[in-house]
Amino acid sequence: MVTIIHFPMLSRSALCARRCRSFHPAIRELSKRKASTTTTDSHENVDVVIVGGGPAGLALASALGSSPAIKDNLTVALIEAGDLTKIQEWSASPGDFSNRVSSLTNASQDFLKRTGAWNSVDQRRTCGVEEMQVWDGVSDARIEFNSTDLGAESSFNGMSRMTENLNLQRGLLRHLADMPQVQLLQKTKVQSITRDSDDKQSWPLVHLDNGRVLRSRLLVGADGFNSPVRSFAGISSYGWSYDTQAIVATLEHHPRGAFEGPNTTAYQRFLPTGPIAFLPFSSTASSLVWSTRPHIAKALLSCEPAALSTMINAAFRLPAFSLKYLYDRILEAHAAGTPITPAQLQEEIQFREKAHSIDPLSTHSSLIRHSGPVGIASPDAHLVPPLVTGLQPGTAASFPLRFNHADVYIGEGKGSRTVLVGDAAHTVHPLAGQGLNMGLSDVECLTRCIEKAILHGGDVGSYTALLPYAQERYLANHILMAAVDKLHKLYTTELEPVVWARSVGLEVLNELDSVKAAIMMQAGANAQQHGSPGWNAAASVIQNASAAVETVSAVVPALSRTIIGGIGNLLAQVNQTKRQV
Amino acid sequence: MYSTSRRALTRFAAQICQRRGLHAGATGATVNDAEISHFSRLSSEWWDEGGEFSFLHRMNPVRVRFIQEKLAEIARDEALDGGEITQAGSVLQGLDVLDVGCGGGLLSESLARLGARTVGIDASGANIAIASLHASADPSFRLQSSTLPPTAQQSSPGRNSLTYLHTTTDALLDSTSEAPTLSIPRQFDVVTALEVIEHVDNPTHFLDTCCSLVKPGGHLFLSTLARTPLAYALTILFAEHISGKVSKGTHTYSKYINPEELIDFFKNHPESNPAQKWISPEATSYLPRHQAELKGLIYNPLQGGWFLAPRNSMAGAQCNYIFWVRKPKVSNPA
Repeated sequence: MVTIIHFPMLSRSALCARRCRSFHPAIRELSKRKASTTTTDSHENVDVVIVGGGPAGLALASALGSSPAIKDNLTVALIEAGDLTKIQEWSASPGDFSNRVSSLTNASQDFLKRTGAWNSVDQRRTCGVEEMQVWDGVSDARIEFNSTDLGAESSFNGMSRMTENLNLQRGLLRHLADMPQVQLLQKTKVQSITRDSDDKQSWPLVHLDNGRVLRSRLLVGADGFNSPVRSFAGISSYGWSYDTQAIVATLEHHPRGAFEGPNTTAYQRFLPTGPIAFLPFSSTASSLVWSTRPHIAKALLSCEPAALSTMINAAFRLPAFSLKYLYDRILEAHAAGTPITPAQLQEEIQFREKAHSIDPLSTHSSLIRHSGPVGIASPDAHLVPPLVTGLQPGTAASFPLRFNHADVYIGEGKGSRTVLVGDAAHTVHPLAGQGLNMGLSDVECLTRCIEKAILHGGDVGSYTALLPYAQERYLANHILMAAVDKLHKLYTTELEPVVWARSVGLEVLNELDSVKAAIMMQAGANAQQHGSPGWNAAASVIQNASAAVETVSAVVPALSRTIIGGIGNLLAQVNQTKRQV
Repeated sequence: MYSTSRRALTRFAAQICQRRGLHAGATGATVNDAEISHFSRLSSEWWDEGGEFSFLHRMNPVRVRFIQEKLAEIARDEALDGGEITQAGSVLQGLDVLDVGCGGGLLSESLARLGARTVGIDASGANIAIASLHASADPSFRLQSSTLPPTAQQSSPGRNSLTYLHTTTDALLDSTSEAPTLSIPRQFDVVTALEVIEHVDNPTHFLDTCCSLVKPGGHLFLSTLARTPLAYALTILFAEHISGKVSKGTHTYSKYINPEELIDFFKNHPESNPAQKWISPEATSYLPRHQAELKGLIYNPLQGGWFLAPRNSMAGAQCNYIFWVRKPKVSNPA
């Protein structure tokens, strides 16, 4: 008796009929498919094609090329429209810093160290951030973060490391230069992306402008905000423009005095128009990121560098009300066609400072009275950044800010075998310094997913292989982006109750060292992965606090009854006395 | 009903064999677009990872992991002293593997990518066609298929050998049948029949044939569902009727096999050799580690993934489970 192996999932008779009639096309489809892959203009088969040579794309190529499980099993190609050799050969003198910088958390550094790329990054051009001073521009409520709160290990390295983006990209390119199996196709544009057949199991075909066609098992979109890969995959995104421009520049200033700490403190003041941040690089050079309204940004950038540096000093010190007055003056002058001169600006600032009775020799004065570093600084000098003496020429620039999050990270249907990392997936306000770090976390997670798929013989472009990446990264990114967005919205309002609430909240938070440590850990200051040690720490603090609150709430009603009862008796006696009278 | 569809299948299977003979080399005939679209819709069911077979897709990496780890464990046990420790990732390199009831080729492709010389067989010609079509898109395979016309056999640069045959285990064992057009071994290092036995008419005979296809000292992997109320509730009531994720009629409760029944079978197999059974009959309350292993496969709906229950835990094997058994080496050559 012949045993027939059943597949009842296909045993419905209708399906049987279709199956038999369609047997022909199977053979025909196969022969057609064979022909197309061997005889048409050379489709090169590349396993992983990364579109975009920014930090995220380069980091992914470097991680794939250095992973022992992947490098012998997958071919990788990276496509970048710009000139990468210029970046690889970039060199700047030790005191000159580029204006696009990012703060790499310890978690990101750990990832780069594990792939081996961190060795190629010039450490002398980076600066560890050991302290952060963040304060409210309207109410002066302040919170301080110190890396010593995190424990011995982190306090040595700092909470994060300020790195120029060019330094990071150059380091990644140097690391990639040692990997001949990773193809770097630079100065090559992606002309179009099509599918290689009409059925759902088709593979993406990347058409380059030099005539090559790459047939990819997995197409990675690391191509920034306006990602062509994202539009090819048919993934829509959700977001808005913040109506804010970020001014970046490299600032020059005197070194900190002998009795002050080193310049490793990052400062951020939340003004109603947007936060202004001072990010330390060396003892005499630091970086500026000032988010403000687009018309103000335009007017500021059209001023002379001396005027802009005076304005930067004022933005960290003058009360917000006076700053608004200064903006108006600057905008007036800009509209009239004659940008405000440094002398005019200094005069205005002097007048405002007199009005606020700010001592010209105190730290809260924005005008530079001394030609060199101060001998002994006042005790509150650490609360504001050093006075800026000038800008490095050619570094003042601005770019628009927006919030954007792709609906999904993995393409499906016509967009299958596609995945998004970095800015192509999410764009965030720079106020928390998390944009690049989220991208590097994405890359790290995707590399792990690819490794796992290879280990079990899976197809790295399949939905099953990529799903863990989306599951892990989407929610984590979403939470962080939502938090940053809410913070931005919280601090751009001047409504008094909101200002009061956020100031009180900030001051209270400043006293809770455990919660601050938790926030720092969650933001990546600890190199731990896959879990939320920060929230675990915060949770234990909250548990202890709630136990205390329970005790207190048991005692207080008894007390209040006594007090209210006492007052009631007093009132009753007063009334009686009145009536008697 | 069930029996009529079986007869229909037999009838159509015969027609398929005839047609294959006639049209093996035809590539120039007019193409019916409706047939192409029907075919595309069908193939998309097997390889549509969010569709009907999504559970199988999610289960695949876990099954492969079990196979790798078991093979590596045995290889390490038998490694000569001073040899390199076999890693799970490379244990399948160079082994001859037969995937019985390969369906759309989910498992066969994974095994081939891991370096095994894989042969996938299925009694349904359409399944073989779907599997071949999908594998032909992947340049890493050196694909041979009984559904491919000889002219279109690709001399592809792929290094992973994958062969698909439209045949049954009986036909493979039948030495009087016509020599297969594609050269495949007579016996295999590893035979896998995952999610097959619950669809078979005569499971005992099916297991006999699978056992004969295993080399002495080789491995047999089976996975199926247990005939328990829990399995009925999850796989038929919930999956088919309530949520509709799996189409009705996919599974039949009466054909589910309990782990105890499988173990009993291997304790009595082979009938002909009373001295050397696959599982020692003396092992009354445990499974000898070097002879057999049972692991339940549990689905975690929150993560949408499968995980393996602890080794030999009957409690974990109440629904899906995977079973490994080893063919004894020939102790005294005949």
